[in-house]
Amino acid sequence: MKHVLRTTLLAAGLSALACLPARAQAPEPIKFGKIDSKDFDKAAFAGDSAANAVILCDYGRSRFDMGSQGGFVLVFDRVIRIKILKKAGYEWGDGAVMLYHKGADTEKLSNLRGFTYNLGANGEITKDKLETSAVFTEQVTGTLTRRKFTMPNVREGSVVEYAYTVTSDFLFNLQDWTFQHQVPTRWSEYRASIPEYFHYKQLWQGYEPLAVQERTDGSTQFVVRGSGGSVGGNWTTSHQGTSSQAVVAQVVNHRWATQNVPALREEPFMTTARDYVTQINFELEGVKWPNEAYRNVSGTWEKMQMELLNADEFGGQLNRGGFLKAQLSALTAQNPLAADRAAAVHALVRDNVKANGQTSLFSDAGIRKAWDQHQGNAADVNLLLIAALREAGLRAYPVILSTREHGRVDTNFPLLTRFNYVVAAVQLNDSTQVLADATEPFAPFGMLPAACLSSQSQGRLIQDAAHGSWVELNSPFRHVSYRSAQLTLDERGNLSGKLRDEQGGYRALQQRADLRQQGEKKYVENLLKQQQGWKIDKFAFQNTTTLTKPLMLDLDLRVPSEAEQPLGTIYLSLLQTLNEATNPFRLADRRFPVDFGARREETSMVTLALPAGYTVEEMPKNAVIDLPNGGGRFLFSVTPVGNSLQIMSRMTLNRSMYLADEYASLREFYERMLAKQAEKIVLKRKS
Amino acid sequence: MRVSSLFHAAALGSGLLLGARPAQAGNEPHWPVAAIPAALRENAHVVVRQQDDIITVKSAGRLLHTVHCVATILDEQGDDWGQAVVGYDKLMQLSYLRGNVYDADGRLLRGLRAADTKDYSAHDGFSLYTDNRVRVADLRQSRYPYTAEFEYEVSTTNTLHFPTWRPQDEEHVSVEHATLRVVTPAELPLRYLEERLPSGSAVAKSQQGSQLVYTWQLQELPATELEPQSPPLEELVPTVYTAPTAFEVQGVRGDLTSWQGLGQWEYQLNQDRGQLSPETTAKVAELVKGIADPKERARRVYQYLQSSTRYVSIQLGIGGYQAFPASTVASTGYGDCKALSNYCMALLKAAEVPSYCALVGAGRNRAALRTGFPSNQFNHMILCVPLKQDTVWLECTSQSEAFGYMGAFTGGRQALLLTPQGGQLVRTPRYTTPDENRQFRRAEVQIDEQGHGRATVRTRSTGLQQDELSQVLHQLSADEQRKYVYKQLALPAVTIEQHALQPDLRGPRPAMTERLTLALPSYASRTGRRLFLTPNLLNRLPPPAPHVGARQAPLQLNLPFVDADTIRYRVPAGYKPESVPAPVQLRTAFGSYDAQTQVLPDGTVQYIRRLQMPAGRFEPKDYEAYEAFRQRISKADRAQLVLVQPES
Repeated sequence: MKHVLRTTLLAAGLSALACLPARAQAPEPIKFGKIDSKDFDKAAFAGDSAANAVILCDYGRSRFDMGSQGGFVLVFDRVIRIKILKKAGYEWGDGAVMLYHKGADTEKLSNLRGFTYNLGANGEITKDKLETSAVFTEQVTGTLTRRKFTMPNVREGSVVEYAYTVTSDFLFNLQDWTFQHQVPTRWSEYRASIPEYFHYKQLWQGYEPLAVQERTDGSTQFVVRGSGGSVGGNWTTSHQGTSSQAVVAQVVNHRWATQNVPALREEPFMTTARDYVTQINFELEGVKWPNEAYRNVSGTWEKMQMELLNADEFGGQLNRGGFLKAQLSALTAQNPLAADRAAAVHALVRDNVKANGQTSLFSDAGIRKAWDQHQGNAADVNLLLIAALREAGLRAYPVILSTREHGRVDTNFPLLTRFNYVVAAVQLNDSTQVLADATEPFAPFGMLPAACLSSQSQGRLIQDAAHGSWVELNSPFRHVSYRSAQLTLDERGNLSGKLRDEQGGYRALQQRADLRQQGEKKYVENLLKQQQGWKIDKFAFQNTTTLTKPLMLDLDLRVPSEAEQPLGTIYLSLLQTLNEATNPFRLADRRFPVDFGARREETSMVTLALPAGYTVEEMPKNAVIDLPNGGGRFLFSVTPVGNSLQIMSRMTLNRSMYLADEYASLREFYERMLAKQAEKIVLKRKS
Repeated sequence: MRVSSLFHAAALGSGLLLGARPAQAGNEPHWPVAAIPAALRENAHVVVRQQDDIITVKSAGRLLHTVHCVATILDEQGDDWGQAVVGYDKLMQLSYLRGNVYDADGRLLRGLRAADTKDYSAHDGFSLYTDNRVRVADLRQSRYPYTAEFEYEVSTTNTLHFPTWRPQDEEHVSVEHATLRVVTPAELPLRYLEERLPSGSAVAKSQQGSQLVYTWQLQELPATELEPQSPPLEELVPTVYTAPTAFEVQGVRGDLTSWQGLGQWEYQLNQDRGQLSPETTAKVAELVKGIADPKERARRVYQYLQSSTRYVSIQLGIGGYQAFPASTVASTGYGDCKALSNYCMALLKAAEVPSYCALVGAGRNRAALRTGFPSNQFNHMILCVPLKQDTVWLECTSQSEAFGYMGAFTGGRQALLLTPQGGQLVRTPRYTTPDENRQFRRAEVQIDEQGHGRATVRTRSTGLQQDELSQVLHQLSADEQRKYVYKQLALPAVTIEQHALQPDLRGPRPAMTERLTLALPSYASRTGRRLFLTPNLLNRLPPPAPHVGARQAPLQLNLPFVDADTIRYRVPAGYKPESVPAPVQLRTAFGSYDAQTQVLPDGTVQYIRRLQMPAGRFEPKDYEAYEAFRQRISKADRAQLVLVQPES
């Protein structure tokens, strides 16, 4: 993608020598090397006791220039100044810049410079320069290089400052900008001066308000040199050879800034911190050369769909399922119903090709090779699934999406870079569509990997180049566990009996993976680690490979007591013995939604036979605890039946996502549920 | 197979050859799974069918190591062995890397292709910069079992570090047959140390012309499985350590037949790197002006070091053994362990306090130094300040460590002191009595009618018991500290209202005081007229890890400690005890335990618990008694008090 554009520009016949800077606008928020003595005033950081460092100012600027090789280049300048408050913040004294290169096109780092400022013994400010010996180059991959550097004399109270320029041949992605970091940011400002030839789409996200959002018009002069022969109708010049000409272009100057942005904090059950950070991304939408029509270079879903379908690593794979003809025609004959057939095709792909753990939107090996080698990346597997479904006569389409780790997709912006995964949509009949993924060895047909689920994002179904639609990424499967037990209590307080665990939906997926990883013995041992005091005499698993049924574990269980004599009073908190749970929501507050991915249900049903000669003196009262707005419910009851007790406990969470302002009630819901389960039954021996 | 551990540091030049060996004629099966003895499949994810290591010493400064390894991967958890991971760096080159993969029947599936190998920077997770890289060849399959065969050769000019031969270096791996062959010129005889070799597998020596040849072999080693609290695997499986007599790194030659020789080499590398500018010298003079006591002078210098430097790991220079000059550290304010120790030594010299750098094998629960076998067993450098009364040890990479304190990372082990006369083994400070590593806690808890609690807790930890807290305080942000405390609080529901950590570096051992205010919803469970309360608020020892079958490995207790808790509960008026846990008193070789719950005349419930355990190693047969001890503690820690409200 990046490469394509570069070629386009060269074809436009541009090569140039220099350019004049854009007209001055608002004063710059920071000047490199001009330190403010306020930054050494302790009082100014009194409110930052929780932070290891504070970004005082982060200032970036993107503009266009003429590259030495001809054609436009993007020039990005950055100055950042950071106050180090604690030793744990010393890592902010190290910097890194990632640089991409592909073919002859590069991103180059230049003019890297830095100072560390400290307060001297007599209150004067000392400064130490970043030396070139402290700058290192690391080859990360074939196309990525990381330049790293470490600032001198960093101490508690130091201010470090560095600046650099990145010159890039890749015009497709104007440098993006992140306004929020792991430490508080006092001021973050980004400017972009974009000449009339380039039209970029802006993609915003985050929860922090902008303090400045300006847009002014100006002009810039570019000095353009005609390059021999290829000069065509793009520019009004028809000179050959080395002559040059000044061209004045209209420029839009953008300016965005945030003030006093708090640090970003990771919390459980969030998709990825990147979804919540305040930032802006760009993607080139179109180019408009003088005397030429506007050309859309990205921009519409149709275009993206077309591009994907034309790509050999994507659309090119979809109709190459012919090599499976023999297997599939047999399978088609055995399964006349579409639903059965789709499930059979899914099982065939899932059981024969192993996903190697690499997440990708594009096929790596190709589906044929993936089949032959029994492995491939996620796209190899799922494109193969689609191809096989089609070969079996079913209507199947790719659905592209972004995994939880990768962050949410904005449906307003057709940016291919926001997608990193593909699954299949199968149209079983006119009203039933199922999303399918074959990368999980233990997932039945129709269950997406948990990593694909999100209540905050959607997938794009691509029917053909001209037709696409949005599909929800919530699953019909839930996270289900059901524990039932028939136990007998004796007069010394010993419990014994049978217990059955059934795990369904996403819970089963996870547990089957654990079971495979640990083996049956280790799995049971790990269960014992969580259940203190249990003794297991016998265990048996069922449905370990029958994925359409719950995973079942039957146990012969004993919970011995230490009493040597029959007890006058027996205290029993049965559900605490059976579910040693803690509240997953430990922190008292939360800024972001709780995104479980799937809905949840946890049930325990226990029948407890009481020893003869005892009566129930006390037992927990029945209870119903509701989350607001039908979000969930906890039911608890104890019912005497003859000389036994029936105990039932069920938690249902009806949604897969809860907003940050529902967090307090969700936390309290768990708290009250756990307290209820901890309540005791008191038995007294009849006198 | 995972081979990067064989070499401490490794370099790749140009000539990397890739490609499969041609399949052998006749298509006869290779390494069919059916040929594996049943005993080797038991409990195994991987069976090493054949591993041949050949070490060829070319000269004191050059070594070739060729490896041929064939491993059958039985299931997904053995997949690491479907890859070869070979480290290299400027001093170590990878000459070739070849591979084949076979199916269960031993049919060749394919040879290693260029597309199967990838090259990465071997980032260790803490260095800013290293030149270490790794090449990874991937022949993993999705059908099990399969057999991966790799062959490669590395050529190194860093001969300080010879490979260690431990074919069974992971649990759940069995070994069918493994050989080691060392070929060396007669004037450079090999030094070696055999550990736990089965009878009959000791070295066979021979001479071939001017070359000495040493060979070992091992066969039919069943898979092992690590048991809880066992010594590390490296202390349980057959191993041959190898080392040179003389070595050479980047033109600097050394003698490894004695600790003295190794120390001499390292000392000489850095001996001219201690000059300081007149300004720095003057600054030090100012720091210690008027102080006569050398210990106090050292303390001032150390405080200055801690406040003006930080740790940045940059592993370069004579295979990573040479330090940045002290003057560089003085101007940049950072360095790695060698640079900072060397710098601190220079500062102390300016303060007229002699000190010596020392090499140490750092790491919690690291295997003891093999003192009878001089070789490079080190990964860290610290500073030793010998004084008349006692000797002070300094960790120069930490900005927060107490003066003279060596925690679980470097304490209680042999270190190699680097002196002008060469190396000398000395022991770093250890904190071996439980009383040095205390955790004393007092808490006041108020319980209301509904069973909700509010607690104020003060915990003072010393010595090794404060190591982690000290790291938490100095390395985590306030948010992360709170998360850490939540994780430590093993309670089903709790809210931290206040939390503060306060270090105290004045005593002979560092101490840390933690103050907590907690809200404890439903801490006491209420049913009808009764309140159920677990008096042990925050210190419940988990039961021992469950296990099946007889214990094989010794029991290893690493931390000698004493914990004492005194918790007082104020309960709602009118409640009377119905059932009070009986006092428990346990005395065993593994420690002693006392717990007592009392209802005081004013109705206050007082809980006192004391647990003391030593460090030590115990016979496998003792494990059962240890398990019983732990179980009884676990049970007692969970005992409940029942209070009842009289019927009105």
